[in-house]
Amino acid sequence: MLWKDQYELGVPSIDEQHKELFRRVESFLQALRSAGSWEEKAPRLNETLEFMKGYVVEHFRDEEEYQLSINYPGYEHHKQLHNGMVDYVLEVSEQYERSGNNEDLMQQFGGRLLAWLINHVAAEDQRIADYARKKG
Amino acid sequence: MKDKLYKALVDATHNVLKLMLNVTEISDRPAVDFSCDDEVDIAIGIVGDFQGEVIYRFPVATSLNMVNIMSGMQFEEVDVFVTSAVSEIANIISGNVLTALSVDDVKCDILPPVQCKPDEDKEYDIKTSCYLNTAIGDICLTIRLNRA
Ligand SMILES: [Fe+2]
Ligand SMILES: [Fe+2]
Repeated sequence: MLWKDQYELGVPSIDEQHKELFRRVESFLQALRSAGSWEEKAPRLNETLEFMKGYVVEHFRDEEEYQLSINYPGYEHHKQLHNGMVDYVLEVSEQYERSGNNEDLMQQFGGRLLAWLINHVAAEDQRIADYARKKG
Repeated sequence: MKDKLYKALVDATHNVLKLMLNVTEISDRPAVDFSCDDEVDIAIGIVGDFQGEVIYRFPVATSLNMVNIMSGMQFEEVDVFVTSAVSEIANIISGNVLTALSVDDVKCDILPPVQCKPDEDKEYDIKTSCYLNTAIGDICLTIRLNRA
């Protein structure tokens, strides 16, 4: 399983969203890494990719709203990190379409997304939870 | 400066391995003892007050272990996915190194990761390497910089 309890922040609303986000990334990665030819995999892959992308945007938006609600001082910086990832996702999606579904592009995206997401949740999102706890 | 760089690099790697991979058993050894002939080598360019790069040498077994832990899946060989995931880890560690240095008012930026050969050697003002032995395998790191 992709989700690990060590990623939990202790803020229930965010933790629930992270679990859902990890579920969607996991189905994308499973489609990406499943056996079979790329042509066979492409339809399911595109479906899981769209399903995940939608939730990334939704989660980032909700998490930013939460930061504002607690006056989190790192809000601007954190929003930049989110925007950077959204831009990257859009850019790859475009490149992928233009390339006629080039597999390497998607594999490269999958690897980076995996490591980025884990670090973001374990390090950057953790700072929001630390602040919320300190503030009480 | 050299000692500071060494410490920043080792600390950043410790933190990232702990946070992302739950790896805490890490010991550092003399870099000359590191040897490996099948590895993933990633360079992260540095620009700003200093110019140069950080070179990450991840043996194949270490690379696969890292990706298996993160994904919960079983990767058997290094492919585009694995190289990309490992490159992002190198990117994250390098970012943390620069954040640590910025406390001392050293201002630098990092460039996107590229695959490289570790042995191309020029002269550098500052160069330091470390060899980390961890529960998921060895890692060798080099940081080499010129004053801009
Ligand atoms: Fe998040
Ligand atoms: Fe976030």
